Order: sequence, then C-alpha cells, then structure tokens
Amino acid sequence: MAVAMEYYLVLSAAVFCIGLFGILVRSNALVFLMSVELMLNAANINLVAFSLAHGNLTGQVFALFLIGLAAAEVAVGIGIILVLNRNFDDIDVRDAVTMRW
Amino acid sequence: MLIEFLLGITVASALLVFMAPDCIAGKLAAGLSFLPLGTTAVMWSGFDASGNALRGGDIAFESRFEWFDLGSYALQWHVGVDGVSFPLVALTTVLTTLAIFSSWTPIDERQSQFYGLMLLVEAALLGVFVGLDFFLWFVFWEAVLIPMYFLIAIWGGPRREYAAMKFIIYTNLASLLMFVGVFLLVFALGDTLATLSLVDISAAIQNGGLGELGGFDPEVIKVAAFVLLFLGFAVKVPVVPFHTWLPDAHVEAPSPVSVVLAGVLLKMGTYALLRFNFTMLDDVLTNGWNAEILMFVGLVSVIYGAMLALAQRDLKRIVAYSSISSMGYVIIGLTALTAHGVGGATFQMVSHGLISGLMFMAVGVFYNATHTRMVGDMSGLADRMPWTAGIFVAGAFGYMGLPLMSGFAGEVLVFIGSFHTSLVEGAPIFTALAMFGIVIVAGYLLWAMQRTLFGPFELETDYEIGRAPLQDLASLAVLLGLVIALGVNPDFIYGAIQDAVEPLVRAGTGGDALSVLLGGGR
Amino acid sequence: MVDVFTLAPAIALFPLFAFGIALFLGSKMPKGGALAGIAATGGSLVLSLWMVAEIAGGAGPYHEELYTFVGGVEGEGVTLTFGLLIDPLSALMLVIVSLISFLVHVFSLGYMNDEGETGLPRYYAGLGLFTFSMLAFVYSDNLLMAFMFFELVGLCSYLLIGFWFRERAPASAAKKAFLVTRFGDYFFLIGVVAIFATFGTTAFAGEESFVTAAEAVLGGEGEMNTFLGLGNQAWITVLGLLVLGGVIGKSAQFPLHTWLPDAMEGPTPVSALIHAATMVAAGVYLVARMYGFYALSPTALGIIALIGGFTAFVAATMALVKQELKQVLAYSTISQYGYMMLALGGGGYVAGVFHLTTHAVFKALLFLGAGSVIIAMHHNENMWDMGGLKDRMPVTYWTFLAGSLALAGIFPFAGFWSKDEVLYETLLHGLGDSPLLLVGFAFGLLAVILTAFYTIRMVLLTFHGDPRTDVAEDPEPVRWNVKFPLVVLGVLAVVAGALNLGTIKDVIGEENLFLHEWLDGATLDGELGEGGALSAHHYEELLETQAGYEAAEFSALANGAIALVLALVGVAAAWYLYRGTDPEPHMTKLGGVRRVLAHNYYQDEYQVWLATGLALPVARVANKFDQGIIDGFVDAAGTASVVAGERFRRIQTGVVTNYAALLALGLVLLLLVFGLAGGWF
Repeated sequence: MAVAMEYYLVLSAAVFCIGLFGILVRSNALVFLMSVELMLNAANINLVAFSLAHGNLTGQVFALFLIGLAAAEVAVGIGIILVLNRNFDDIDVRDAVTMRW
Repeated sequence: MLIEFLLGITVASALLVFMAPDCIAGKLAAGLSFLPLGTTAVMWSGFDASGNALRGGDIAFESRFEWFDLGSYALQWHVGVDGVSFPLVALTTVLTTLAIFSSWTPIDERQSQFYGLMLLVEAALLGVFVGLDFFLWFVFWEAVLIPMYFLIAIWGGPRREYAAMKFIIYTNLASLLMFVGVFLLVFALGDTLATLSLVDISAAIQNGGLGELGGFDPEVIKVAAFVLLFLGFAVKVPVVPFHTWLPDAHVEAPSPVSVVLAGVLLKMGTYALLRFNFTMLDDVLTNGWNAEILMFVGLVSVIYGAMLALAQRDLKRIVAYSSISSMGYVIIGLTALTAHGVGGATFQMVSHGLISGLMFMAVGVFYNATHTRMVGDMSGLADRMPWTAGIFVAGAFGYMGLPLMSGFAGEVLVFIGSFHTSLVEGAPIFTALAMFGIVIVAGYLLWAMQRTLFGPFELETDYEIGRAPLQDLASLAVLLGLVIALGVNPDFIYGAIQDAVEPLVRAGTGGDALSVLLGGGR
Repeated sequence: MVDVFTLAPAIALFPLFAFGIALFLGSKMPKGGALAGIAATGGSLVLSLWMVAEIAGGAGPYHEELYTFVGGVEGEGVTLTFGLLIDPLSALMLVIVSLISFLVHVFSLGYMNDEGETGLPRYYAGLGLFTFSMLAFVYSDNLLMAFMFFELVGLCSYLLIGFWFRERAPASAAKKAFLVTRFGDYFFLIGVVAIFATFGTTAFAGEESFVTAAEAVLGGEGEMNTFLGLGNQAWITVLGLLVLGGVIGKSAQFPLHTWLPDAMEGPTPVSALIHAATMVAAGVYLVARMYGFYALSPTALGIIALIGGFTAFVAATMALVKQELKQVLAYSTISQYGYMMLALGGGGYVAGVFHLTTHAVFKALLFLGAGSVIIAMHHNENMWDMGGLKDRMPVTYWTFLAGSLALAGIFPFAGFWSKDEVLYETLLHGLGDSPLLLVGFAFGLLAVILTAFYTIRMVLLTFHGDPRTDVAEDPEPVRWNVKFPLVVLGVLAVVAGALNLGTIKDVIGEENLFLHEWLDGATLDGELGEGGALSAHHYEELLETQAGYEAAEFSALANGAIALVLALVGVAAAWYLYRGTDPEPHMTKLGGVRRVLAHNYYQDEYQVWLATGLALPVARVANKFDQGIIDGFVDAAGTASVVAGERFRRIQTGVVTNYAALLALGLVLLLLVFGLAGGWF
C-alpha cells in the first residue's frame, strides 16, 4: 500500500508555506530560525518522497546531508542571534537596520 | 619614426616629472616640454605630405604595422600627419610649453603631479592628431579626458568638482554616440573592410562599399552615422546647444589648463568633424536641407555664443563664450565645403587656438595679480600692468578679427568660402548674418577692456600690484608674435592646409568657370 | 637713375619703422620717439612728392604686387594679394596724408612734449602706426587690402583717442569710435566678401579688376556671379551700398556720425590727424578710389548724394550751438565730409577730391590752431571762457582766421573754390536728368549759410572781444613747433584753391584746372590694361552712359556768386550777433530747439540705447535661457539620475523580512511568467 505521491508533495508544500509565512510575518529572529528549519524540512520531505518513488537512495543521502547542514546553519544562526541580542538588546529583526542605504 | 619618438618622449617626460620633487617639477617640465616642441620643429623641416590623408594623399612620417586582431579586423598601429593635422600638432606643442611656463606662478601645490598631467594631456592630444587607426585614435581620444579631469578637479576653482564631473560625463557620453556612429559604418561596410584604419574606412565609404545593415538602406546608414558622429563631436567643439560644459570647465580650471582646454581640446572636435563627417560622409551634405541645417547650427553658435558673452561679468566666462562663437565660424566654413571654406575653417582652428590661449593666459596673469576676474571689481589695470594690458588689448583685437592678425585671415577665408557655396540655399544671407558676430565680439571685448583696464586705477588689495613675472610676459609675447606672424603671412601654414583640404573640394567641383576659380561647391 | 616707384612701399614702411622704434626704444630716446616719427613722415612726404613729380613728368600709374597674402592652389580658390597702386589720385592723397602727419608730429612736440605728458612713446607709436595704416590704405591696389588697413586705421584711432586711458571719458570715447565704425565695417566686409564671390577679384585697376569686370558685364560682355536672385544691375548696387556702409562709418556720415564728436577726447593733434587726413578721409577716399564702380549704379550714387547733403546740413545745425571749440570743429568736419559725399554722389568726382584736398589743409589748420588755443588756455576748451586772444597770439589768430574763412567758403580762400565746385557739379547733374540731386543741392546750399555762421561765431567768440577769464587775459605762449605747422597750413589754406579754379573756368580756360587735368591724366597701360579706366574723363563717360547723369548748362560764375552771397549772409549774421567786446549767448534764446541741437537730435541716445537698452537685455535674457533651460536640461539629466538612485535605494530597508518578501514575490512572478509563457495554465 503506497501512499500516493501527491500527499507527500502537498505536505511538503504546506510545511514550506508555513515556514515562509513565518519568515514574512514574524519579527523574532528565533522564530525566523525555526521557520527556516521548517522550510528545510519541507525540502527533506520532498527528497525522501522522491527517493521512495524512484527506488534509489540518492534522495535520502541528500536528506541526511541537509539535516547536517541545517544543524550547522542553526549553530551559525544562533550565533548571529546572540550577537544581535548583545548589540541591540533585542532579537527583533526590524531593529537591525543600521547598515541599510 | 619621428611620430613615435614624439609621443614617446612626451610620455617619458610626463613620467619623469611625476617622479620629480615639487620644487623642480615646474622648471623640469618646462625644459622637457621643449623636446616635443623641438621634435615638431624638426618634423616641420621634413614635412612632405601632399593631399589629404584620408583621400589617398601622401602622409608624412607615416608608420603602419599590424598590432593585434580584433574579431575579423586587424588593428594596426597607424600614425602619420598631413596638412590638416600637422598645424594642430604644432599648435599643441607650442601651447603646452607656454601653458607650463604660465603655470609657475599660480600652481603651488602638488606640482609634480600637475606638470606630469599637463604633459600627459599633451601626449594624448598629439595622439589624437596623429592617430590614423580608429582604435588607436579612440584610445587617445578618451585618454585626453582622464588627465584633464584631474587637472580641473584638483587644481580648479571653488566648483571644480562639479565642473570636472560635468566635463567628463558630458564628453564621455558624446564619445559613446560617436563610437556607435563609427561602428554603424564599420558594420555596414562588412567584409570590404579588413582593418579599422581611418584611411581604409574612408576609402571604402568613398568607393561605395556601404551595404545594408539591419534592413536599412546605405543612404539611411550614412545619415544616421553622420548624425551620431556630429552629435558626438558637437559636444567637444562645442556647438550650441551642447556647449554648457565649456564655460563651467573653463571658469573652474586653472588658467594654464584653460589655455590647453580652449586652445587645443576644442580643436579635437572640429578636427574630428573634418576627418569624419566632412571627409568620409560629405555626400550627406548634398542631400535635402542637411547643409542648410548645419549652416544654421553654425550661425546659431556664432550669434548665440556672442550674445552670451555679452551678458557675462567674469573675464574668463567672456572668453569662454566667445570660443563658442569662434567655433561656429569653423562649422560654417566646413559646411560650405569650398576651398577657402574648409581651408579657412582649419586655419581658424589654429588661429583660435593661439588667440584664445593668449586671452586665457592674459586673464590668468591678471588673476594672479588681482585675485579677481570680475569685470566690476577692478578698473585701470593698465596703469599697473602696462605690458600685460597692452598684450591683452592686442589679443582682444585679434579676437575681434583685426586684419594682420590671424583671426582675420581665418574669418575672412571662411566668409569668402561660405558666401558663394552652392551647397547651401541662401548662403550669402547665412554668411552675412554670421559676420555680425564680429560686431558683437567687438562690443563685449571693448566693453570689458574699458571697464577693467582703463579708467582710474581701483582695486583694494593689501599688497602692491606690480608687473607680471617675466616668464608670463614672455609666453604672452610669443603667442602674440605667432598671432601676428600668421596674420601677416597666413600662407605659412595655409599652403599646407589648402593642399590637404583641396581633395575634399575638388570631388564635386563643376559648373561654370567662375565657380571653379572660386573653388566653389557643387 | 633708380626707378623711384620701386621705393614706393617705403612711403608706408617708414612710419611703420617709426612705430616700432617709438614703441620699444621711445622711452630711451629724447622727445619720446618724436624724432623718429618726424623723420619717417618727412621721408614719406619727400617720397610722395617725388611720386607726384614723376607722374606729372609723364610716368604712368604704377602698380606692383607686393606679396601674396593667401594663395589659391592651382586655380582653386581666389588669391588674396597685397599690392600698391600709385595713380594721380593715390599720389595726391599720399602727399596730403604724409604732409598732415608730418605737421602733426611737429605740432605734437609743442602739444605733448612741452606740456609734460607721460606715455609719449605710446603716443608716437600710435601716430606712426596710424600714418602707416592710412598710407598703406591709400596705395592699396585691391579692396581687401584696403579693408584691412581701413580696419587698422580704426584700431589706431582707438589707441589714440583712448590715449589718456586713466580717465573714464577717453576710454569710453575710444570704445565708441571703434564700435560705431566697426558697425559700418561690418557691411564693408560683407561687401568685400561679396565682391570676391561675384568677380573673383577685388583689384581696383586693370583689366582683371572688379570695376572693369562690372563695367563689362553691364555693357553686355563678360559674366559675373549674382546671388539671391538679383539681376546684374541690382546686385552691383547692393555691392556698392554694402561697401558704402564702411564709408558711412569711417567718414562719420549720418547716422553713424556719433563717434566723431566723442573722439575729441583724444589729444588735439590726433583730432587733426583723424579729421583732416586719415580716418575720416579714408571713407570718402574709398568712394573716389572705386568711383568707376559706383558710377555704374545711379541708385547708389543717389543714396550717396542724399546722405552727404543731409549730413552736411544736419551736422551744420548741430555745430551752431556748441560751446567748446573742438566740438564746433568736429561737427564741421562731419558737415564738410557730407559735402564730399554729395559731390561724389552728384557726379562731381573731381569736385569731391578737390574738397577732400582743401578740407584736409584747412581742417588740419583749424585743429592745430585750436590746439594752440587750448595750450594757451591751459586745456580749457569752452569758447565762452576765451575772447580777446587776437592780440595775444597773433600767429594763431591769423592762421586760424585763414582756415575759418576757407571753411566758411569765402572768396578767395581754398574752401570757397572746392565747395563751390561741389555745389556746381551737383546742380549741373541735378538740373540734367536727376532731380533727386537737387534735394542734396538744396541741403548743401542751406549748409553754406550755417557753416559760415558757426565758423565766424567760433572765431569771434575765441579771438575777438574782451578776455572773459583770467587765463584768456594772460595765455600761455606757444613755441615755434606750434607756429611752424600753423604757418605752413595757413599759407596753403589761402592758396590751395588755385589747384582748380572751377568757378572762373570760363575765364581761365578748362585746361588750367590743374586738379582736373591731374586726375584726368591716369592713362593706364601695360599690365593695368588699356584705356583711361581711372581717369576723371572715364568716370564722366561712365556717369553719362551707365548712371544716366547728364550735365545741364549753368553758369559756373553764377553758381559761385550764389554760394558766396549765402556764405556772406552767414558771416554777416554771425558778425551782427557776436560782434562787440562782450557778446551775448544768443543761442540760448532758441530754447527747445537749442536743447534738441545740443543733444544732437538724440542720435547718441538711441544708439546707446541700442547697445545698453536692447542688446544687453537681450543678452541677459539669452544668458538666463542658457543657464536656466539649456544648462538646466544638462543638470536635470544629472539630477534625474541622482534622484532616481536616491529613490531606488529605499528598497534596501535592512529588514530581512522585506527581502524575503521580495524574494518570494519574485519567485512567484517568475513562476507565473514561465507558466504563462510555457502554457502550463
């Protein structure tokens, strides 16, 4: 019994859109980080789903890489957020605009 | 190889001066500038060109060899001079040397850079006048702008950055149009062209090598290229209404730079007009109202420039605007395409270079002494600086076209040439109207002299105003001497000029005996 | 013996050398370079007299090409040359110019050196250059060369009128003189260029000359270019009128006469030079020089005559009310040159040249006399401050009186003969078939009365009656260098009329009209071509055949009597009004008329208005337009790009969310575009 491909894709798209929505409307940098994670995981779902459909492991390997990458990204991201917090006493992304134009 | 030597020695001098300490830079540059001047003098004695370089004439000091390939075109190192370009080469070397001498007084900071840049401008200008390959020529053409930009932007007056920026952007945009115009021709010539040598381009166009391009007729291409080229050069000349960079640049530039700017830089535009528009694309003039339009443009430049000069209060602005007026005569003479028209226009280029150089230099000498250029600020200067004032008066009369000074010879030849041209409907009317410029020029120069030089001496300074330094007076005297010498004996260079412009005229001469006698149009 | 004509170029070159010597070495020389000038003009005078003697001895007119100014290449383009032409007319003029110039140099020793002026080298350099330019102009063999030296004459007048440049008035007057004559020269230059374009040459004499060519064309042979769709006759008239523009400017004819009275700001010897022999004479001389051309166009002649007659009359009215000695003389100059123009326009070639000659003598005399008075009066020129100088400076008085009577046209002084001939010739041709000339003649007759009146008024106010100021009581004495030129000219002013006693020609016979015979003697040969193309005789023929001038019968004696009676009327009126020891200023009774006359009919005002009230505002508007609109466009292009950049960078908000939104939006848009283009929907 195989779940139809469409369900995976719709799930993936839904997760991606939730992540995107989070990035567009929230201002807390930590939430940003989480939203980015959501978007990355949406991609992971896609990769794993297609890997299953095609019957090879390439997609799953990519997914593993991506998880590792996401972990690294979170490390860097949290570092940035810490600096942000130190310099602006807040982690609201709208405050950090001193280098615009 | 004399031309390579000329260019090389100038560039080398520039580099040497760059490295020299400030305290000797001025004297070193003055001394070194005699090298190109001397080389020109040597070239003068061996000058053997005949005919027009772009019309199959013999080119003097020609050297031509392959340089590198660009697409399907072989780019060449191709230099040489003919009767049109050589007087301008001589003008460049003379004016630069004198301008360097007159810089000693006003330039007191970053001297080695100043003099180095002056010599670089000279080298680039020489390159423009000797370059015969389009690519080479264009490199020199653009190279003039860079040192000139710094000369204005560093040593200029209060608004120097504005003026320098305006100058470089304006002329650079114009170069772009010109570049497009040339490549329009090059692409339309297609396979008939193997090099980008101006000689080859000209010959190919004259032989009817222009093909269709993008579905447009060769005639349309010609007109389009003519317009683009004209617009490109008109900014440099400058022709009304593309003239507004000129007063700003002149006023802000230090006087010695104005001398080069007015004396030689403007001639790049008219020289290129003569080389490209009126040599390669002269057919365009015979079509429709084209010649009339150009004549009108020249007329507007003459009268409008003179009217603007009448409204100025700054001596330098007065001279700057009158340059626009004088360059209008060149356009009129070129458009006539008669023997004396084109010849007179070329002569006028040289003559105006000398006279406007003289005027700017004299204004600079006054400015060094008084620190003002405003007509209302001073009067009776002739009392304190009699010789400078005397030379200024003489130069002003030269500007007004006083006979036995070179301005008259240039103008009267242009008038004679343009009066009877059959290219232009109503040429006598155009000519007569343009001649009114000689009245207006007398008006504003006499007025300015009356206010500044004559009357009781009035100027508040906390120091004595005395005679000008010797090197300034000597430079002025040399220029005045040249102006008078060329005015008394124009044939000294006019013979060579006429020889070089004659092919342009003869191409279409026909008709009755008298018009042949007059070297008359078509 | 050497051919004297080969020395001819030296006539003009001597003063040129004097110019150079005075300019560069004058400060180191005694007398500030005056001696060089005196020697040079003396040399020119001797050479000129020698030329005259040679021509009188039967030598033909001499023509030589000096050098090529601008050469044409193989028949392409006209050739511009310098050459000299010495025929009776130019030889006569050379003598006049060098004589007056010589005397002016001598006089300057008294007027400038003895008065302790500074800047003498500049002064004598100016005089030298002035004389050089005029002499070279006189012997020019073509119109272009004539134009060039004509302009140089203008330059010299600028330099000399503005000699006292440290004061405002001379600097302004110099500017005005050059500018007004430049305006005339503008038309002249068009004429020169047009003549080149029409005939391909501007030579005055010879078969190749434009004069001969024009004559041939009108005679149905040969061809010329015409422009603007005009016929041959009309185009020749246009050419003549264009050249006439220069003449009107230089010879101070209405309406370009306004510079001349202002030019009195210069040193008085310079005024003498300008008025008698050089600048002002240049215009009239030019008409005489190319008379063969003007004779082809009755319209041009008519205009010349009318302008001349009108100027003679109008200038005389203005002279009536002047209070300053030199101003009276200035307006009399304008008036007298009007007579010359009237003569030339009225077909009296000989009369015009005759009046030019006599006028040169007596006007130089009057100015030098006035200079002498001015020295004596410590540079006060107001006649109402003078009076009674008769007994205190007898030499000046008697010579001045001779000049004045000549100017007034009293028998037997020089001016009587020449002025009478001017009127006579005009009347003859006017009665013939050209009634227009009678208008000019009428003006001329009226001017005779006025001339006599203001001249005698001037003499009476200056020399007669009681001294009205202390200075006039005890004037400064003048030395030999002032008296010598006065005496020479005084004698000439009495006897010069003998050159051409036209009034009594029925008595003495036509062949004893020396000047007429002299000007008729120019039979050209050799390279100049056949026939008497430059002779008075030829001009008379031309006038008859081409211009349609016919001479009516009228008694020369009767005409002379009329002129003399009218002049005596003027003299009597002046004598009646200004006699006595303390004359009243009668002219103030004229009221409004006097004001108009004193303001010179407001001619200056409107011309100044043209410059400052019209040209300057227009220029200012043009400048505004240029700075505001044309440069505005240029700056606007720059500003527009700067402003656009300024606006555009606002999208860089620095807020990550915005960037992300843009990214997402861009992606969606891209997808839409691809979708629409790829037909997914």
